[in-house]
Amino acid sequence: MTQTTTTPIIEARGLGRKFVVKRTVFGRPLASVGAVEDVTLRLMPGETLAIVGESGCGKSTLGRLLMRLIRPSAGEVFIDGQNVTNLSHAAMRKQRRHVQLIFQDPYASLNPRMTIAQTIAEPLMLHNIVPAGQRARRVAELLEMVGLRPEQASRYPHEFSGGQRQRVVIARALASEPKAIICDEAVSALDVSIQAQVLNLLKDLQKRLGLAFVFISHDLGVVKHIADRVAVMYLGNVVEMGTADEIFAVPRHPYTRALLSAIPVAAPPSHQRAKAARLRGDLPSPLSPPEGCRLHTRCPYVRPECKTVSMKLDVEPNGHANACAFWRELPAQDAAEVAREPRNPKLEELFAAFEAMAKRPAQTVTGG
Amino acid sequence: MSTSQHTLENQSARSVRADDARASVLDVNNLRVVFEGDMRTVTAVDGVSFSVGKGRTLAIVGESGSGKSVTSLAIMRLLPEHSARISGSVNFDGRQLLEETKSGMRSLRGNRLAMIFQEPMTSLNPSYTVGEQINEVILRHRQMSKKEATERAIAMLKLVRIPSPETRYHQYPHNLSGGMRQRVMIAMALACDPELLIADEPTTALDVTIQAQVLELMRELQQETGTAIILITHDLGVVAESCDDVIVMYAGQVVEQCSVEELFTFPQHPYTVGLLGSLPRLDEKREQLVAITGTVPDMANPPSGCRFQSRCPFRIEKCAEMPELIEVSAGHFSRCWRAPMQDLVP
Repeated sequence: MTQTTTTPIIEARGLGRKFVVKRTVFGRPLASVGAVEDVTLRLMPGETLAIVGESGCGKSTLGRLLMRLIRPSAGEVFIDGQNVTNLSHAAMRKQRRHVQLIFQDPYASLNPRMTIAQTIAEPLMLHNIVPAGQRARRVAELLEMVGLRPEQASRYPHEFSGGQRQRVVIARALASEPKAIICDEAVSALDVSIQAQVLNLLKDLQKRLGLAFVFISHDLGVVKHIADRVAVMYLGNVVEMGTADEIFAVPRHPYTRALLSAIPVAAPPSHQRAKAARLRGDLPSPLSPPEGCRLHTRCPYVRPECKTVSMKLDVEPNGHANACAFWRELPAQDAAEVAREPRNPKLEELFAAFEAMAKRPAQTVTGG
Repeated sequence: MSTSQHTLENQSARSVRADDARASVLDVNNLRVVFEGDMRTVTAVDGVSFSVGKGRTLAIVGESGSGKSVTSLAIMRLLPEHSARISGSVNFDGRQLLEETKSGMRSLRGNRLAMIFQEPMTSLNPSYTVGEQINEVILRHRQMSKKEATERAIAMLKLVRIPSPETRYHQYPHNLSGGMRQRVMIAMALACDPELLIADEPTTALDVTIQAQVLELMRELQQETGTAIILITHDLGVVAESCDDVIVMYAGQVVEQCSVEELFTFPQHPYTVGLLGSLPRLDEKREQLVAITGTVPDMANPPSGCRFQSRCPFRIEKCAEMPELIEVSAGHFSRCWRAPMQDLVP
C-alpha cells in the first residue's frame, strides 16, 4: 500500500471555511464565523500530523474539510494528488475510501442495531472490496488486527466496553484499506489505561500498513507520543507548525508556550516546574475575533503593535512555521520552564518490570 | 428550617473554626454502597475509609466505574434512597451524615458542605440569571435581606475573578463561557463558607489553559478560606499539581492511599504503576506506552480475591485471596500482597 512517490496523501492550499451564524428573516446572512482561515498543509504517506488547539479553534472543522465532508469556502483540497474541492457527491464517496474518519465517541458512531460483523462488512460491500463470499473471513482478519476476537463478530455494540468499541471503529475504518485516517479526538473519551492500549494499537497499525494519520486532539501528552509533525491552531488560524520534537522542545509562538505550560504534569510536587507563560482570560468570541494578532487579548508578551500585525505564517526552509511576528524578541524560556521532569530511576525500573511481566506468555486476557 | 436550628448550626460552625487546624473535617469509615436492581446487584463502593483535614485537598483518583463519584454522592446523600443501600459511617464535625434527616441534610448542603460538578451548564439553571442562583443559596442558609445577599453574590463573583461582576450578575448561564460558568459554580459553592467542598471532575470539561486558571483559583481560595477539598478526578496531572493527599480507587476499593509526593515518587500498587506508566508524558518519547491489559471487572460479580489480579503482571497465587489495605511505609497504604514494590525491582 505504501508508495514511493512523494505525492502528499492530503494537501490543503489556503483552505478556509465560514459558517453563517445569523440571518435576517429573509435568509440573508448577517454574521458569519471564520472557523478555519487560510490553512496550508500537507500530509505525507506514513506520517502523523497532529492538529492541536482548544475547543472552538477550528481543529475539527479542519479535519472535516480535509476529507471534504464539508465544502471549503476558500482554497483547495487534494486527496492523493486529485483536486477534490468541487467533486460531486457520488465521486467524493468513491474518494473517501482512501481517507477515513474516527470520532471521539465510539458508541455514537456505531449503529446499535447492527452487529459488529455487519458494521465492519459495510465498507467492504459499499466499495466492493472483497467478494461477498469472502467478507466474513476479511471481517475476522480485521477484528484480529485490532486485537478483538473473531468470535465476537456477531455481538452488538452495547456488549463492548468503550475501548473495545473504539477498536471496532478502527477496524471499520481499516476495512476500506485507506491511506490516511483522520482521528478526531479518537482517544479522548477513554480512560488512561485503555487510551494507552488504543494509542499503541494505532502506532502498531501505522507501522504495519504504512498509514498516515491526521490526529486531532487537545491532549498534548498524547500528541507528543504519536505525532511526527504538529500544527497548533488558535481561533481558526494555524499559529505554529513544525516537527513534534521542535514544537515540544523549543516552542516559538506564545500560544504554544502557554498551552505547553498549562498542562498539569504527573510528577511529584517537589519536581513541578515553575509556571510562567500563562494566558489571561477567556477565548474571545470567534464571531468578532480581535484585530491584528488574534492572541493579543490573552498573550503574556503582548505589545502595542500586536493589534495591527498580521497573522501570516513565517515559514522557514525546514518547514517550521510560526505566526508570531515578534517571536525572536520573546524572552527565552526560563530554565525552570524547560526543565525536564526528572523521574525516579527506581520508578523507571518498576515500569520496566511491569512491562516485562505484562509481556509474559499470553494469559487469557479478556477484552481491552 | 427553623431559626433555632440555624443559630445552633452557626455556633457549631464557629466552634469548629476555632478548633485545631489539623483536625479532620470529614471522616469516612468503611463506606459501602450497593445498588440493588431487579436483575443484578452492584457493589459500587466497597469499604472505603478516609479522612480530610482542614485546609487540605484530598484527591480521589480512578478510572470510570471505580466508584469515586458514587463515594462523593454517598457522602452528600445525593443517591436515590430506594435503590442505593449505604452502610458505614460518615462523620462530619460530630454529625453522622448517613443518619441525618432529609431536612438536616438540606440545611448542610450548600451551607457547610458544597459540591461542584463536571459540567457547569447542566448544574446551572438556564432560566435564571447567575446572580439569582447565587442569591438563592445565600438566602436559603443565611439570614440576610435580599439586598445584602445581592452584595454578597457580587462579592463572590469578584472573589472568583469574574471581570465586571455587576454586569455578569444579571446574565444568564448561556451568556458565559465554560470557564466562567465553572467559576460561577465555585462562587455558588463557596457563598456560605463551607468547611468541605467536593469537586467532582471540576475541570474535565474545560480547556487546558482555562483548567490551569480554575485550579489556580481553587488553590488560592483554599488558602484564604481554609476549606477542605475533595477533588475527584481521573487526571493524574491535576492530582500532582493541586492536591496534598491522594487515594487511588479501583473497582470500588481503595487500593492505595498516601501523600501526593509519595504517589508520584514511588507508587506501591501495581494498578497505580500501570496508570502512571500509561500516561503519555511530555518529556520523553517512547515507542510504546506501558498499557494495562484488559478492562475493569464486572462489578455485579467481582472476582474473589484481589480485584486487579486479572490485569496485574505481578500476580501470584496468593492474589486469589483479598489483600487488606496495609501500611507499607509511614502513611503509605497499599492493597497488594506484593507490596512493597521495591522488592519487585531487580
